[in-house]
Amino acid sequence: MTQDASDPRRLADSPTGVPGLDVVLGGGFLSGGVYIVQGSPGAGKTILANQICFYHASRGGRALYSTVLAESHDRLLQHLASLRFLDTRVIPESLRYVSAFRELEEQGLAGLINLLRREVLRQQVSLLVLDGWLAVSDGKPSDISLRKFVHELQVFAALQGCVVLLLTGDARRDHRPEYTMVDGLLVLDDVRHLGWRLRELEVLKFRGKSFLRGRHAFRITGEGIRVYPRLEALLPLTPESDVPTSRLSIGIERMDGVLHGGLPAASTTIVVGPSGSGKTSLALHFLSCASEAEPGLMFGFFETPRLLIANARALGLDLGGQVDAGHVELIWHSPTEQILDDIGNQLLDAITRRNVKRLAVDGLDGLVEAAGPPDRVSRFFAAISNECRARGVTMLLSAESANFVGPTVTLPIEGISAIVDNLILLRFVEARARLHRLISVLKLRGSNFDRRLREFEITDHGIEVLEALADGDIAENAPDIRIAASPANSPVRRRQNREPG
Amino acid sequence: MHTVLVVDDEFGVPELLEFVLQEEGYRVVSATNGRQGLQRLAEDPRPGLVLLDYMMPVLNGPGMLHAMREGDYRSIPVVFMSSLDEDAVRKAAEHEFQAFLRKPFKLAELVDIVRRLLPQD
Repeated sequence: MTQDASDPRRLADSPTGVPGLDVVLGGGFLSGGVYIVQGSPGAGKTILANQICFYHASRGGRALYSTVLAESHDRLLQHLASLRFLDTRVIPESLRYVSAFRELEEQGLAGLINLLRREVLRQQVSLLVLDGWLAVSDGKPSDISLRKFVHELQVFAALQGCVVLLLTGDARRDHRPEYTMVDGLLVLDDVRHLGWRLRELEVLKFRGKSFLRGRHAFRITGEGIRVYPRLEALLPLTPESDVPTSRLSIGIERMDGVLHGGLPAASTTIVVGPSGSGKTSLALHFLSCASEAEPGLMFGFFETPRLLIANARALGLDLGGQVDAGHVELIWHSPTEQILDDIGNQLLDAITRRNVKRLAVDGLDGLVEAAGPPDRVSRFFAAISNECRARGVTMLLSAESANFVGPTVTLPIEGISAIVDNLILLRFVEARARLHRLISVLKLRGSNFDRRLREFEITDHGIEVLEALADGDIAENAPDIRIAASPANSPVRRRQNREPG
Repeated sequence: MHTVLVVDDEFGVPELLEFVLQEEGYRVVSATNGRQGLQRLAEDPRPGLVLLDYMMPVLNGPGMLHAMREGDYRSIPVVFMSSLDEDAVRKAAEHEFQAFLRKPFKLAELVDIVRRLLPQD
């Protein structure tokens, strides 16, 4: 049965106020619902529940935080003291802490349910937290009495319109009767990734509404918890706009000719090449065409803004002037210990803020390093790419190939060539006792292009693309190209001591 | 002390309403179907108010209301509780009842109605 918003039986949302979590939960918990929040010690359960309580109190609601742990509330609040959401002025009027340890010890589950009912009714509480569910469920009650307790709690919560959160450190989920009964199950986890740890939240069950499935990264900072919903779970909701047919100059006249008029507007181009082959220089040329009508953004992971401006100056490009004029924005991120969705959100925010039309991402390797589980980068990038296309953004993305010289070009993630619209290859070729830089276009969305190889040089007045190579030229020494993806689990090399290009 | 009769077959509901109304100073007796509810009406202490679920086994809410109004319990106020809408319940019930609570209702609403229909001395 469907329920519309005017249906009085429709359960109201009770927002958590935790940034990102309400997006995952489709608006928040449902009033009258009972939810288990599970996580090992240190996973962030207590912070999460308190943050929700303080937010609830700040909106005029009343919350009750009950514990069955032998831990004083003073100590609990001391641990929370450094978190900015803590506002002791709401205690005890709007947020009350009670210990249910004695009732549970002396009267069992019957004493506990009566205490909770009494306190909730007395204070007209609309959010109840029971911290220490493991102590309740491990107190050797029979399955029947545990089911009875949970059912009584559910009936009470439903008729009181009260959200109930049961916090447990129990890692076991199988065969626990309460897990099948409750309205939702949230799991907080702390997973190891390349030597650092990544906090993740997953909603395994949520009755009555749709939610974002899968794992979502979260951070605990001085502001409390912030959840980063997986962008690829959100972005497909963006309706696709019509694909424009116009072209954007890549900033090098001869390359525009190779591309039969430039890059297709609202397309994604990947520029692949080894370190020093000219990828960043090409991106700087692309951004040199940014204007008030076509705002540009450089979103990079390796060169800082100051270094980029210096590199551009060495190419005869006035990137600093464009930044000063507001035509280009430079955003730099360290590629280490980042949350992929945080980066993605910042990128999309920067695009929205200035209505960016020319986007250079330098480079894909930085995204891979920030990705956490390596198998999600291609899905994440596909979502970002679709979103940029829908917003009319033309993206130039650089990716480093592992091989400096040779027949194989290794892409940093599997499947990327199928996701992008256009593919430009930069390579070094050894011929006549020196290295030559070659540029070629391998793929261009919906358009013919010049398929011949060209040598190019990076000079103090920019990239100079030379005439197409002829038979018998250095190209015959250039082996056939084979494109491969790097193994999904291999760590990506960190670029160091980079030179311009 | 006034007595309230709660007639509801849903596990946990009579227990909860008993707890809530006892906190308000009422005595509470309960039954899980209409036939059992009619038996409770005949016992002491005689209830001054009936909280009546609609759908129950053996004898449902409208059936119990019919028996009450046709028998000796015409004057006892009845509050129907149902997830159906009020018009549907009034149409099916045939007899007058004093208040309606659509499930899931708020406990505060229930307490307000009970206080109004069965004020404490």
